[in-house]
Amino acid sequence: MKRMSLIMSLFFLAGIFTTPLFAADNFNLSIPLPLTGSQAKFGEMEKRSYEIAAEEINAAGGIKGNKVLLEFEDSQGKPEISRAIAEKLIDVRKQPVIIGDYSSSSSKAIAAVAEERKTPYLVVTGAADDITQQNYKYVFRMNPSTAYYSSGLMTFLSNVVKPKSIAILYESSDFGTSGAKDMETQAGKMGMKVLVNEKYEKGAVDFKPILSKVKAAQPDVIYMVSYVMDASLLMKQIKELRIDAKLFAGGAAGFAIPEFIDNAKDASEYVVTSTLWCTMVKYPGSREYAEKYKKLYGDYPSYHGAEAYSALYILKNVLERAKSWTPENIREAMKATDMLTAFGPIKFEDKEGYQNQNFMDTLVLQVINGEHNCIWPEKYASKKYIYPIPKWRERK
Amino acid sequence: MTSVQIEVFLQTLIAGLLLGGLYALIGLGMTLIMGVMKIINLAHGELMMVGMYIAYWMFVLFNIDPYLSVFIATPALFFLGIAIQKFLVNPVLKVESILPENQVILTVGIGMVLANLATVFFKSDYRSTPVAYATNAFYLSDFWETSPIELSLSVPWTVSFVFAVVITITLWFFLAKTDTGKSIRATAQDLEAAFLMGVNVKLMRVITFGIGAGLVGAAGCLFLPIYYLFPSLGGQFTLIAFVITILGGLGSTIGAIIGGLVLGVFESMTATYIGMGWAPVGRFVIFVVCLIFLPGGVASLLKRKKFGK
Repeated sequence: MKRMSLIMSLFFLAGIFTTPLFAADNFNLSIPLPLTGSQAKFGEMEKRSYEIAAEEINAAGGIKGNKVLLEFEDSQGKPEISRAIAEKLIDVRKQPVIIGDYSSSSSKAIAAVAEERKTPYLVVTGAADDITQQNYKYVFRMNPSTAYYSSGLMTFLSNVVKPKSIAILYESSDFGTSGAKDMETQAGKMGMKVLVNEKYEKGAVDFKPILSKVKAAQPDVIYMVSYVMDASLLMKQIKELRIDAKLFAGGAAGFAIPEFIDNAKDASEYVVTSTLWCTMVKYPGSREYAEKYKKLYGDYPSYHGAEAYSALYILKNVLERAKSWTPENIREAMKATDMLTAFGPIKFEDKEGYQNQNFMDTLVLQVINGEHNCIWPEKYASKKYIYPIPKWRERK
Repeated sequence: MTSVQIEVFLQTLIAGLLLGGLYALIGLGMTLIMGVMKIINLAHGELMMVGMYIAYWMFVLFNIDPYLSVFIATPALFFLGIAIQKFLVNPVLKVESILPENQVILTVGIGMVLANLATVFFKSDYRSTPVAYATNAFYLSDFWETSPIELSLSVPWTVSFVFAVVITITLWFFLAKTDTGKSIRATAQDLEAAFLMGVNVKLMRVITFGIGAGLVGAAGCLFLPIYYLFPSLGGQFTLIAFVITILGGLGSTIGAIIGGLVLGVFESMTATYIGMGWAPVGRFVIFVVCLIFLPGGVASLLKRKKFGK
């Protein structure tokens, strides 16, 4: 390492680098994450993913020769603790940039501190729309906000299916209602007529009454916002009633996980669903990361992990471009980011009322031969989409 | 009505009747216990959950079809019910207390213990038995090709319904024709008179609780192929059974059957013509209306008619 810094200082003396001499060989980065409490499961997954990324980066020579040393601060999923952690990192540790934390409320708390202290903050998973709608200059977000979760599905619909009408079924919870409302606005923008828009109580046994109403309305697309067991029941009963819509679409959650196929069996075939990330998407490094994670921890990570893993690569990319590692210069470099990560393309833009928000096309999955396949955007698809889908009667 | 409207109506009616048949079976167990014990068994849904877990593990471990598990889960739940009555409810009956209904409170506790034990042992994961015939159905157009409307009849739902009907008829036969059955009915009608006539009232109570638990265990097996399973599923079915028991008239078997069917059809109609989110509301509207205008439930209507003749 000594030699490394020697070389670096030589570079510096030669004037190739305009950045100041990096005093240490190590770049210490503290990341707030909920490691205890109800969100610990996701915090743990993100922690592991950051570690995988750090290991890879260090093995390849670190960031500009600096080894990344990660530390984790437990925010317990509580915004007030996240806030305290952010203050400590900025005021005491003088960390020039902050990344991480999990929930929207914690991210919001950190964002406020970061903006006040003029320190760039990269939001990794917090999805509430308003985090990047506050005219903050120092807050960046790599993940799509809730309102854009289904952006990929919408492009798929308008480019491939071109539906004229839609039926929306959703569970009567926050998650279901907001998902259905978003779809209603998006459908309106596309000029689709909403024929049926119905909520149901989670855990219902029999969907056939409402489904026969949907059948009578003959919508082009049936869009459902449900958790996994309701999702499977819905598709099973759609099959029983032989409702032939042009497309069955799910709003992430229940439709995007393997249990959906296990439970709904052949009724799940050809169902599409929007998702933020999947293991077989053809983003560079995506597959490798997923396999590495599975080898280490026995299970594939969800999109939260991919976001964390990619966040560190974004930081690496930003720090390499920054003129110096001061908050101001890092902010400028972050603003100019335009790269492709394992989570997808990253570019921070100001538009539609958002600032420094990454607008990426989310992915669309389709169940093909009893497996989730990534079918959209076509450039990164793992399999060609199947459309039009066969009628129930013609299926085996 | 156009043919589309007729199709929607008939399909809803079919769905309602099939659902109602299963509801009736759940309600029967509770109403039986209510009749003899004069208490509402609020652990009813949890007992059903236990039955479902038995059927689930039979399927996973030994590949036994959930419908065959009816013959395993029902006896198992019968003995569980007997044990609960003998070792938990009976001792509480003897204790003097400020609250006269402390057996009811006891059943709430039993329900909680069962649900939490299930969470400890089986985790709170959702489970289901992916049987091969899960989405098979009969279609009207397969039998009558020029039919103007298309109706479908799900295979597992129909099988469950038929099972429920057979179990109900067997129960009726047992109550009407056997000595034990008659003794149970006597105990339900007038405990002291039955006691004076030499009926072993204590034994009848134990048996009744066993039968009630067995019935709801069977209902659990019938629900498994069409629904799914998780430890805290009991509550919603206890509620349904409760509504049916009130609707049918406390303790009346026929009332429970009619009550179950009425509730099933009513819920389905609400879902189609008002909105699915309103189905639970509809359930409680029935409940309240019944308490106000028909406190004796369907059973009192039947009785009135009989006396009128």
